Amino acid sequence: MTTETSVIGKSLPMLDAYEKVTGKLKYAGDMPAHHRMHYAKVLRSPYAHARVVSIDTSAAEALPGVSAVITHQDDITGKQKTCGTPWVDPSFNFRGPMISEEVCFVGDEVAAVSAVDEDVAREALKLIEVEYEELPAVFDLEEAMRADAPQVRPWGPNTLPPSLFEWGDIEQGFAEADMILENRVTMGNQQHAPLDRNACIASWEGDRLSVWTSTQALFWMRDALTDFFDLSPSKVRVYSTPTGGSFGLWWGNNFMFLAAALARKSKRPVRLVLTRDEVQTTVKRRERPLIDVKIGLTKDGRMTAQSFRHILDNGAYGNKFDPYQSVADIYTTEHGRVEFIGVATNLVTAGCMRGVGDLTLAYAIEQTVDMAAEKLDMDPVEFHLMNHWKTGDICHTSQEVVFAKLLFNKNPQVELTSSGLAECITRGADAIDWSNKWKGWGKPSSVEGHKVRGIGMGISTHISGLAFFGFNGITVKVNPDGTMALTTGIGRMGQAGDTTQAMVCAEVMGVELEDINVIDGDSEVCGHTMVTFGSNGMHMVARATKAAAEHAREQLLEYAAKHLEANAADLDIKDRRVFVKGSEERGVTLKELMSTPIYEYLAPPEVIGSASKGVEFEKAGKMMMADFAEVEIDTRTAQMKLLKFVAVHDSGTIVNPAVCENQVAGGYYQSMGFSTTEHLVFDDETGAILNPNFMDYKLMGPLDMPDPEIMFEEVYDEHGPFGAKGIGEGVTCAVPIAISNAVYNAIGARIDPPITPDKILQALKPKT
Amino acid sequence: MNAINLKINKEHYDVLVKPHWSLAYVIREKVGLTGTKTGCEMGTCGSCTLLLDGKPVFSCLRMAIDAQGCDIRTIEGVEEENNGELHPLQEAFVQDHGMQCGFCTPGMIIAAKHLLEHNPDPTEQEVREAIGGHLCRCGTYIRIVRSILNAAAVMRAGS
Amino acid sequence: MEYYSPTDLNEAYALLDKYGEDAIPIAGSTFYMGHREELFDEVEAVINIKQLGLSYIRQDGDGLHIGATTTLNEIFAHGLTRKGPFGILATTVQELNINEVRNMATIGGEVCIAGEVDMPTTLLAYDADIVIGGSKGVRRMSMADFHIGYLNNALEPGEMVLEVQLPQPPANTGGGFAKFERTAADLPIVNVATRISLDDAGVCTDARVVAGAATLSGIPERSGAAEAALLNQVIDAALIEAAAAASADVACINDFRVSAEIRSLWVKCGIEDALKRAFAAARQGEQS
Ligand SMILES: Cc1cc2nc3c(=O)[nH]c(=O)nc-3n(C[C@H](O)[C@H](O)[C@H](O)COP(=O)(O)OP(=O)(O)OC[C@H]3O[C@@H](n4cnc5c(N)ncnc54)[C@H](O)[C@@H]3O)c2cc1C
Ligand code: FES
Ligand code: FES
Repeated sequence: MTTETSVIGKSLPMLDAYEKVTGKLKYAGDMPAHHRMHYAKVLRSPYAHARVVSIDTSAAEALPGVSAVITHQDDITGKQKTCGTPWVDPSFNFRGPMISEEVCFVGDEVAAVSAVDEDVAREALKLIEVEYEELPAVFDLEEAMRADAPQVRPWGPNTLPPSLFEWGDIEQGFAEADMILENRVTMGNQQHAPLDRNACIASWEGDRLSVWTSTQALFWMRDALTDFFDLSPSKVRVYSTPTGGSFGLWWGNNFMFLAAALARKSKRPVRLVLTRDEVQTTVKRRERPLIDVKIGLTKDGRMTAQSFRHILDNGAYGNKFDPYQSVADIYTTEHGRVEFIGVATNLVTAGCMRGVGDLTLAYAIEQTVDMAAEKLDMDPVEFHLMNHWKTGDICHTSQEVVFAKLLFNKNPQVELTSSGLAECITRGADAIDWSNKWKGWGKPSSVEGHKVRGIGMGISTHISGLAFFGFNGITVKVNPDGTMALTTGIGRMGQAGDTTQAMVCAEVMGVELEDINVIDGDSEVCGHTMVTFGSNGMHMVARATKAAAEHAREQLLEYAAKHLEANAADLDIKDRRVFVKGSEERGVTLKELMSTPIYEYLAPPEVIGSASKGVEFEKAGKMMMADFAEVEIDTRTAQMKLLKFVAVHDSGTIVNPAVCENQVAGGYYQSMGFSTTEHLVFDDETGAILNPNFMDYKLMGPLDMPDPEIMFEEVYDEHGPFGAKGIGEGVTCAVPIAISNAVYNAIGARIDPPITPDKILQALKPKT
Repeated sequence: MNAINLKINKEHYDVLVKPHWSLAYVIREKVGLTGTKTGCEMGTCGSCTLLLDGKPVFSCLRMAIDAQGCDIRTIEGVEEENNGELHPLQEAFVQDHGMQCGFCTPGMIIAAKHLLEHNPDPTEQEVREAIGGHLCRCGTYIRIVRSILNAAAVMRAGS
Repeated sequence: MEYYSPTDLNEAYALLDKYGEDAIPIAGSTFYMGHREELFDEVEAVINIKQLGLSYIRQDGDGLHIGATTTLNEIFAHGLTRKGPFGILATTVQELNINEVRNMATIGGEVCIAGEVDMPTTLLAYDADIVIGGSKGVRRMSMADFHIGYLNNALEPGEMVLEVQLPQPPANTGGGFAKFERTAADLPIVNVATRISLDDAGVCTDARVVAGAATLSGIPERSGAAEAALLNQVIDAALIEAAAAASADVACINDFRVSAEIRSLWVKCGIEDALKRAFAAARQGEQS
C-alpha cells in the first residue's frame, strides 16, 4: 500500500543547510565561552597496561592559573555499570572509575587538569609526576582468550559471555549438504575519524550540572552523568549540539565526564576539546573481528546450514558480546548456529561504528559464499538470487531475541517485514554490465598488459533500529501562524535526522517543510529518545513523530470542524489549509484557524500533539543492499584502483532522495577506506597507535575514487512510516565484499581488508 | 603575549597572541569567528581554509602573528561580500545537498570560491583538484563537486 | 617564545646568532606549525624570514635562481619553472595535490626537510646547489651534501638557506618525476626524479636517477647502478627497464606505512616511469 505524498520523496534542502554554508552552525567546539571558564587537558598513559604506583600533582596544582587536577585518587566511580538503563549496556564503554589506578590501554586517562588557558593546562600536565608499575598486556584476540592470558582490566574476565543463537538442527543441516565450506576471516582496525574533534563544556550551579557536547545519545549521556555523580536525572541537563560527523563515535565518552568532574572540583565551567590524536586513539574504534564461517550446500547450490563464530575485539573497555544486529540473516537456511564472543584486549576501546556487525559478518559469509559459488561453478548473481533472504523470513540472530531471552525468558519469532533484495541484485548486475563483464570463475573481466580487471558483488542487510531503542517521546506544537515546533531527541550527525523527521510531520500536517521548526538536543525539553543509532531514525523514531503529528492533526481538525461547521471526519489539510473534502472552497488556513479566537476560551486554540511510542518487536524492518565493484590491479606496482561501483539499496520509501544518496555515497567512501587505507596500526610491542592522525590514517579524498552509481529499490514497508526503513548504517556493509570479490576475480587471491599493496604483492607471487 | 591587529572580513580586531598560536585558533578562540573549523590542526583536512590576501591557505598552519596586515576572509564574510545574500556557491550547496554534517562545508566553499574567481568555467577535474586537500568524512564529494559546478554555471549566467 | 620578522638579512643573521640552536627560521610554516607541539619546548625564537626579499625566480648565466621563500605555487605558475629546461620543478609541485599547502610551503622549507618531501629529490637530480647565508658570510653546498640524515641538514646554528640554484642543463636534456602515495593527498611514500642528457646520436651523455622519501638513509639517494646502466648507451625501453632493475642498490626503509619490499618495487617502477618521461622529454629537447 502506498499513499500519495507531497513532502515525502522530495530532495528538500536540510533544515540547517543555511547555518552550515554560512559557518553559523555551532558544533560543540564552537560553543561560546562561559564566564570564568577554564580549559582542560588530559594526561594519558604511555603504557598499554600499568598500575599507577604514585602520582604527584603538587607542582601542577601550584602552577599559577591551574584550578583543578583530578586523578584516580578523586575516586569518581559509576554506581552501576548500566548507567540506569537496566536492559542495555550503554557502551559508554563502562570503565568503573572515571580515572582508574590501573590503566588499560595506551592513551587511557591518568589525570586531568583545568587551567586558565590550554597552554597553562598543557604545562601543568608536564609537572605531574607519575610512577607506573608496568603490567603484562595482551593485544591479540586469541591470546587474550587463553586461560593464562594476563587480565586486561581490573574487573571481569577477558572473555565476555558469548551469545548463542541456534535454530533447526545444525548437525542435520550439514548432513544434508553435498559440500561444506569453511573459512576464517579477520579485518582491519577502522576508526570513525569524524572531521570534528568534539568538545565538552560542563558547568555546575550547586548540585545542578549542565553539559554541552556533541552526541548522538542525548539521554544516555544524561544517564551516565547521573550515575557518575550520583544525581537524580532532573539535576542533569545535557545540550547536544550537532556532531561534525559521528558514525558511532560520539555517544558518551570519558572525556565528557572528566570535564564535568573538573568543573565540580574547580567550581567553574570547564571546557575540554580533544586533539585530533585523542579523537583517533583514545575514544573508540570499530571492533576487529575474527570470524569462522561454515556453510553447507547442496549440489544445485541451495544452502542447507550456516554456522559462524564471531569473535569481537572489544579493546580495553568495550563491552559487546552480541551482534547488535541480525547479521547472519542474509541467507535463509533451516539450520543454523551463530556464536558471538566479546574479548577484551589492552588496545583502545572498541565499539559500534557505522554498520557494526553486518559489515564484518556479512563480509565473512559473503567471501565463503563466493568460494562456494566457485566450487559449484555458479555465477555469483545466480547464487545470490537463489539463496537470499525474503519477506517473512525469520530473523534468527536479532538482538531483540537476546534481550527477550535475557529479560523475559522468551524466545520470540521475529519476522522480516520486507525485502527488495532480488530487485537490488538484478538492477545492480545490469548497471555494472555483469553479463558481459563476468567471464566465469578464474577469468578476470579483462587483462591489458599488467592491468588486470575483475568484478565482484556482495549483499548485506542491516537493522532499521531495534525495538528496545524504538521508544520515543515526541511533541508537535502548532504556532499561531500555522507553523509548528517539533520537539525531538533525535541526534544530528549529518544524516539530516531533524529534516526527515520534520518532513514526516509536514506530510501529516499538510504543510511545507519550512513550516516545521525542530527543537532538539536538550534533555530537559525533549521527550526521551533513547539514542540515535542503528539506523533507527526513520523506521522507528519517525513512528512517534508521525503519531505526535497525527495527534496534533486530530486536534486541529476538531477546531477546524467547529470553525467550518463541518464534521472533523470530512476534513483534510493540504497546502497549509483545512478544507471540507469534496467542497474544497469551504476551508480555513492554518494561520487563520490558529489565530482566530474560539468562543469557548475567548482565545485562539492551543494545539499540542504528543506521542510516546514504541514499536512491536516481532516484526523487523531491515534495509537491504547489493553492491557491485569493478577493480583494476596493476600487477607491476601491486596497486589497486576502483574503476566502477554500483550500489542498489532497498530502504523502503526514500523520504529525501538527496539525503539518502549522500548517505549511500558516504558509506561507499568510508568502506572503501576500510577496504584499503583506513587501518589503525598498533605497535606490536607497546600497543600504541602508530598512525594517530590524518597524515597516516588515510581517508578517501575527492581525487581518490570514481563516483558510485546509486539506485534505490523502493519497496514499501508496511510497518515503516510512509513505507520507509532505515539507511544510515547499512550503506557501509556490502562495499568491502564487492571489492574483495572483485579483487579475487582479477587475480585469484582472497585478500581481506585492508587490501594493501603489500598484501597484493604477496598474493601476486607465484605459489611455491 | 604580543599585541597584534588582524583584519578579518574588512573589520579590524586587536588581539593578544602567543607566537605559536595558529591563525585558526586565534580567529576561533579569541576573535570568536567559529565558522572556520579545525579538524586536524596539521594541514591534513582542509576545514580551516580561509583566504589570506586572496589565496586559500590552511589557517591552522599559519601563525596568527604572521597574519598581521593581511587581508583575511573567512566564511562569515562571504554573505556580506555578496550584498548580504547567500553567495551562489552557498545557495548551490544548500539546494544540491553539498553537505551532510556540514563540518567540511566552510572550507570547501572558501576553496571553491577562490577557484571560481580565477576559473569561472572549471572542469570537474579542476574542481576536484581545487579541493584536493579537503576531506569530507561524510563522503559527500559527489554533491560537493556538483554544487560547485552548478554555482559556476549560475555565476557565469549572471555575469 | 619570541617572534621576530626581520626585514633585512643582517638583522636576521643577528637574531640567528643571538639565539643559536634555539632559533628557528620560519618560511611557509607548514611543517613547523604541523609539529608545533613537539617543537614547542625546543624553540626560543621564531624568526619569520618572509620579509627578506627572498621570493623570486630568475635566470642568468649560472642557471636558475629560486629564492628560499618562493612558494611552491609560485614555482608552479612561473614561466621559467613551469616548462622548458626547468619544467620538472612544476611537475614536482603538481604531485602535491593540496593547493593550500602549495600556497604556503616554500622551496627553502622543502629543501631543509630531509624526509618525506619531493623537491629535494628533484633538486638532487638537477645537481642543484643550496646557497646558505649567515653572519660569517655566504657559502654554497651541493644538494648532495646538504642532507645528512633523516630530518637533518648541514646548516650550522646561525645559518639559513637563501637560495636554490640549478645549473643550466645541456640541450637535449629531459627530466621525469614519479611519485607513489597512498591517497592523492599524501606525503610521498616513494618519489623518483630522473634527468637524461642525450647527444645528437641519441647516446646518453649524462644521467641522474634519484629516489627519495623511501630510503634507509632518510635522504634522497642516487642509484649509481641505474645511472651506470644508462651512461654512454643508446636509450630504449629495454635499457630503461634494465636501469630500473639495477636500482636495488637503493636500500629502502620498512615501516608501518608500507614494507621495504614495496618501497623497493616502487623505486624500481618509479625509475622506469620517470626515465621514460625523461627520455621522451630529452628527445624533444623539452622537459616534462
Ligand atoms: C598535509 C601535507 C602534505 C604535504 N605533502 C607534501 C608532498 O607530498 N610533497 C612535498 O614535497 N611536500 C609536502 N608537504 C610540504 C612539506 O611537508 C613541508 O610542510 C614543507 O615543505 C615545508 O615548507 P615551509 O616553507 O612551510 O617550511 P617551514 O614549516 O616554514 O619550515 C620547515 C623547516 O625548515 C626550516 N626552514 C624553512 N626555511 C628555511 C630557510 N630558508 N633556511 C633555513 N631553514 C629553513 C624551518 O626552520 C623548519 O625547520 C606537505 C605538507 C602538508 C601539511
Ligand atoms: S585544521 Fe587545518 S587543515 Fe585540518
Ligand atoms: S559533510 Fe561531514 S565532513 Fe563533509
